[in-house]
Amino acid sequence: MSAVATLTGEVRADGVGKTIDETTLLLPTDVHADPGECIVLRGPNGSGKTTLLRIIGGLLVPSVGTAQIGGREADERDRAVRAAVAGLLGAPTTYRDLTLIDHLVLVDSTWGGEPATSDDRAQALLGRLGIAALHDRFPHELSSGQQQLFRLALTLARPASVLLLDEPEQRLDTAKRQVVAGIIGERAQSGVTVVMACHDPDLTAALATRIVDIVPAR
Amino acid sequence: MTTPPSPQPDDDALPTFEVDDHEWLGQADWIIGGEAAAKARAQGRYAAYVLMLMAAVYGFPIVQATFKTSDSATLRDQLHSAVAYGVGLAAVGAIFAAAVWAGRFRGPVVPPMPWIDLVLAAPVDRALAVRRWWRYAVVGALFVGGLGGLTLSAGLAYAGVVGPLVIPIALVGGLVLGLAVARVWLWAQVRSWPGPDRGLSLLWRVDDALRELHGESLRQHSANTSTLAGSAMTGNLRTARLTFARPVRRARTRRLRPGRPFPVLVRRDVLGLRRQPSSMLTGLGLFLLGSVVLAWALTQPAAPGIAVPLAIVPLYLGYGAWAEGLRLQADNIGTPSLIGSGPLEEAGAHLVVPTALATLVLGGSYAVAVALSSGGVGVGAVASIVCALGALAGGHLLAAFRGQPALVSGPQILIAWYLMPSVVVLIVGSLLPLLLRAGKEGGAGIAVWLVVGVVAWGLHRVRRLTHLHRT
Repeated sequence: MSAVATLTGEVRADGVGKTIDETTLLLPTDVHADPGECIVLRGPNGSGKTTLLRIIGGLLVPSVGTAQIGGREADERDRAVRAAVAGLLGAPTTYRDLTLIDHLVLVDSTWGGEPATSDDRAQALLGRLGIAALHDRFPHELSSGQQQLFRLALTLARPASVLLLDEPEQRLDTAKRQVVAGIIGERAQSGVTVVMACHDPDLTAALATRIVDIVPAR
Repeated sequence: MTTPPSPQPDDDALPTFEVDDHEWLGQADWIIGGEAAAKARAQGRYAAYVLMLMAAVYGFPIVQATFKTSDSATLRDQLHSAVAYGVGLAAVGAIFAAAVWAGRFRGPVVPPMPWIDLVLAAPVDRALAVRRWWRYAVVGALFVGGLGGLTLSAGLAYAGVVGPLVIPIALVGGLVLGLAVARVWLWAQVRSWPGPDRGLSLLWRVDDALRELHGESLRQHSANTSTLAGSAMTGNLRTARLTFARPVRRARTRRLRPGRPFPVLVRRDVLGLRRQPSSMLTGLGLFLLGSVVLAWALTQPAAPGIAVPLAIVPLYLGYGAWAEGLRLQADNIGTPSLIGSGPLEEAGAHLVVPTALATLVLGGSYAVAVALSSGGVGVGAVASIVCALGALAGGHLLAAFRGQPALVSGPQILIAWYLMPSVVVLIVGSLLPLLLRAGKEGGAGIAVWLVVGVVAWGLHRVRRLTHLHRT
């Protein structure tokens, strides 16, 4: 057994930018978010929203500036940061031999969820997202929209104080976008810090406590 | 000149037209093919030359070294036993099974995409339109079969295990086997797409089999070829694996039982193998083969020295078939963690199932070998088995977490990068029985340190790769 620090959801990205060789992926940008806030990153394709989210999540080292989670450097190698940050940044790789419910039970169990009620939590989450009937499907048996809902379920199944989402509305119909907006809003109200890139004005209007416009490098 | 095959009764009243297949295909060749056909033939000749060179430089010496022993009379008797014939038949069966398996996603007939889209769409006889790719495959299969028979028999004859008369017989046998395998491979390709005529009679009705090849199936096989080639060139092993894999649809009602993190990860792997019995059986077949050879090598004084390295190869591959969980963990590197356990704990959990299965099979094989032989249980042999299990576990950590090859790398570097974990296991595994042989002072200590070193290196790779992606 080892102790892992519990970090609050304070997100501080000060002047973070990323340049690889001669190519600038992200101009220096500030993002500050406190627990319970939902920050929406807005900007055209290629402006660096995903890069910024990856820096905040500790997956990418910024070329300039600093990023912190709960006062600690955002570095995925830090167990406390890993415990604090949940993110849907691209498609997570899934087990092709596990069904949807198995995946959620696996995630829940590895985060110390109570085994006796793990199934119920998994089923409830799938139900909230409107895909409870698909619980015994394998990931390759889903449509692209259903896959997006499943990825969101995987991300939401684990505990976190910071939730990073890269265009969670991708491939979803209007009704499902509202469902997802409701769940993200609830997470924010429960004290989770949400930072998300989004192209949907309705979702942005419904959720954003603040909007950060990302300026493209060129 | 050909007319459309078997006109339907209602077609009698319809106007018809004739297609000069050879003329049309000649035109297509002239427009699309250009120099491509001649270039493909030159590449084929070069591949044959390289293969022949490798057979002479490596194949023949390896075979004769394999059967070189101080007790050739005992070995000759064992090679003429019912068990040896059984193993030979099983090997031939495995080759046919491999042809059926490969034919599902990459058959012998794989024309280039433009040919499929632009030429096969025309009403030319499909058997003629794709025949050249079938012939390439047949020539290749004949060449490999003949060369295999020649190399094996020449090596055996040189080692004094068989007479020289066996060489021409094996050559003919290899050619026949090559042709038969090519036809089964084509049959499997036909069966990869639904159609009315998919029976075994297609094995000798080759033209009909070629006509049964669906355009979409040919596209799929061609695309798979490109994907596999691309994956091999870039070292993207996940893409290659998924191209090979059949979608899982079994036992969906079976649930992953929740629990503490470590046991649930182990149960995940058990569930994965129950849903993919083909992986379970492939692993079992390979591991059993390796176990039998290793147990034979550890209990029979007549066994040639190279038997242990030869056993390590199927052992390594069999263990790998059971270690899908480990590879999937490595696939997820670079994404925010979904699994709450640390990377080392997760990797350790994914080693439990393959190691338990390996212990069971290897231990069982050794117990049977000891029972059949006149000697008792050898401490050195048991220690060799335990250490081999450790080396296999460490080697598969290295394999799953080998990461990406160097960006600027030639084919040799790429092959070395791919083979590195298996070569490490092969070297360490082969040294173990020598080091642990009774009376060898200090050997046990070196053997243990070697195994610990491989496992530690594997765990280091897990840690390093898990965090390396940040930069």
